[in-house]
Amino acid sequence: MTATLEVKDLHASVEGKEILKGVNLTIRQGEVHALMGPNGSGKSTLGYVIAGHPHYEVTGGDILFNGESILDLAPDERAKLGIFLAFQYPVAIPGVSFANFLRAAVSSVRGYKDRAKEEMARTGQLREVGSELMPMREFRQELFEKMDRYNVDRAFARRYLNDGFSGGEKKRGEVLQMAMLEPKIAILDESDSGLDIDALRVVSDGINKLVAGGMGALLITHYQRILDYVKPEKVSVFYDGRVVLTGGPEVAEMLEEKGYGWIENHLAELAASPAQQ
Amino acid sequence: MTTKTMTKDKISVAAVRRLSKRYNEPEWLRFARLMAWETFESLPWPTYKEETWRRTRLTGFKLEDYRLPAVDAALLPSRGALPEHLQQELAQIDSAGVLILQDGALIYRELDAALAQKGVIFTDLRGALAENVELVQVHLSALVRARENKFAALHYALWQNGAFLYVPRNVAIEKPLQVLIVQGEGLAGFHHSLLVGEENSEAVVVEDFVGSRQGMSDSVAEVFVHQSARMHYLRLQNLDKTAWNFATQRASVGRNALYRQLQASWGGKLSKVWIDLEMDEPGGHGELLGLYFPRDRQHLDHHTNQNHKEPRCTSDLLFKGALEDHARSVYQGMIHVMHGAQRTDAYQKNDNLILSDHARADSIPGLEIEADDVRCTHGATSAKVPEEYIFYLMARGLSRQTAKRMIVQGFFEEVINRVPVPGVRAKLETEIAHRVGIE
Ligand SMILES: Nc1ncnc2c1ncn2[C@@H]1O[C@H](COP(=O)(O)OP(=O)(O)OP(=O)(O)O)[C@@H](O)[C@H]1O
Ligand SMILES: [Mg+2]
Repeated sequence: MTATLEVKDLHASVEGKEILKGVNLTIRQGEVHALMGPNGSGKSTLGYVIAGHPHYEVTGGDILFNGESILDLAPDERAKLGIFLAFQYPVAIPGVSFANFLRAAVSSVRGYKDRAKEEMARTGQLREVGSELMPMREFRQELFEKMDRYNVDRAFARRYLNDGFSGGEKKRGEVLQMAMLEPKIAILDESDSGLDIDALRVVSDGINKLVAGGMGALLITHYQRILDYVKPEKVSVFYDGRVVLTGGPEVAEMLEEKGYGWIENHLAELAASPAQQ
Repeated sequence: MTTKTMTKDKISVAAVRRLSKRYNEPEWLRFARLMAWETFESLPWPTYKEETWRRTRLTGFKLEDYRLPAVDAALLPSRGALPEHLQQELAQIDSAGVLILQDGALIYRELDAALAQKGVIFTDLRGALAENVELVQVHLSALVRARENKFAALHYALWQNGAFLYVPRNVAIEKPLQVLIVQGEGLAGFHHSLLVGEENSEAVVVEDFVGSRQGMSDSVAEVFVHQSARMHYLRLQNLDKTAWNFATQRASVGRNALYRQLQASWGGKLSKVWIDLEMDEPGGHGELLGLYFPRDRQHLDHHTNQNHKEPRCTSDLLFKGALEDHARSVYQGMIHVMHGAQRTDAYQKNDNLILSDHARADSIPGLEIEADDVRCTHGATSAKVPEEYIFYLMARGLSRQTAKRMIVQGFFEEVINRVPVPGVRAKLETEIAHRVGIE
């Protein structure tokens, strides 16, 4: 079954201020859906709300994963379902090594931890230290293989999570994490911003490989540039807390040409013909 | 181990006399003890009016509640004869020598024969007193004086035993030396550490305090790091959470010498620790590392001084603490740069991670500078675990608990990765994981 993530008439606020004002959007496995919109229109907020950020309050609508609401799930439970958010601004966490963190994450998402817990409950025995983790050798092998494939320096494994990473390194780190966690649906929040040409190609290749492997992606971007590498099936325009227009790749080209001013001038018309899914 | 019923002894001047007599101590020592007792009696109990006691109260502490151990346990012949948990404790560190003291009695000792051959002395303080009395006499109480505070005075009246290390000139001990201090229930323990590194010597000492349920510990440490010597002193305070702990520690750092100390404070109902670094000769380098993690209603207080008396010394202090439940911590620190200590480079930093709405960390860093060509930096922070960190990790599939544990371990990493003994690093990491809670 191909997984789908459906956002239905989603309203969300932060500190009493409404940011999402009725978002409708569908992301399917194996599909790239680009989302473009002006600064401050609420794109990152949408990503946070899908991932379950506790700071944002959902005041209406729903988010369905394979038809089931995920609104009551904690962020880690959503991650275990196969939802991934590549952050626009990944946080740096001092003292936590990239490899240790990622091993814990992979172990949790792939069920090592739950199996260890079940085993303990079944046998009544205390489990061994580390049994809730993916075996070190296997993990390292896979990590290094993917680091090579996604052009991330192996030295990253020992560095602290995003601590002192350059902007581009952080973005590549996010894509590497995604490659390790193998999500069904990923929201990529400006994974292309701040990348040099080579890095853009590496990141795009990474995304393409994962999509070819069945991942669905919501690609939030300001630039046509990445869409030359990662071909979207759909392009949606986000404006003032809503998706106001959905179409094919031609929508991105049109935006590039006419800018958001055009959208603003045609809002009334767009509202009259609700966005196509 | 032989299990004899211990007859216990009250704390009094008569006990001081009996103790000295029991060990047949030389006159100078008996005299020093009685003088210390007098000093103890003459000093008032601390009150909040003293700066160092402003945030730490002795309410509920009664000296009469504690007894002195009266009978010495016997020396055991091999590791195999030790209780299982002590054997495990020893196995965690690959060491060149071991001392285990139980309520003042040396119950086990090991020292690499090659080191003994080179003149290294690593024994209990009583043993040193018997075999190397001059060395003890020269160093004992040379750095920490009885009159310094009421607890130091009490210590000098009643110290039962301690760890003694003497590393001769040009001798480098590669593996760590391990000291285990085991204190019994309801007892008062007075452990004295005397560490001497002669010119261009090198040693790492790991000292671990355990036990003292419903008891008290009042220890003193004196560390002499002579010219170009390198000494690492790792003190792990793992006492029971019902214990009262008082400790006065001072190191004198010689010319171009290197000294690094770690204080890891886990246990104690209330703990008050003074740690002083004396930069006594030009060109020395001193580091003080601290790590504390109180929970429940524990109260842990660390008071440090970095005293720069001579030019071209560097000192570097980093104390990090996490607090759970209703715990309290106090960090008070001072960098003194005295007149003439030009080109001093001193650093002092205290960071606190507050894990509960009811926990509280006080931090009072300070500088006093009398020289003009110096570089001194100090700072303190206190923060909760940022929700953004938790969210980021949870969005990758970690449970809230695991996310929190990783963040707390990461917070302490800056201290832990400066600890030179892998076995100690592992112990610290395990302890932290247990405190945050492993699912
Ligand atoms: N935690 C918050 N507190 C207050 N306001 C917030 C918070 N988070 C977002 N906002 C506001 O919500 C609006 C949408 O922000 P969001 O980051 O989602 O925009 P965006 O479309 O991703 O913009 P950009 O293209 O610049 O990344 C902005 O006006 C922002 O200031
Ligand atoms: Mg954004």
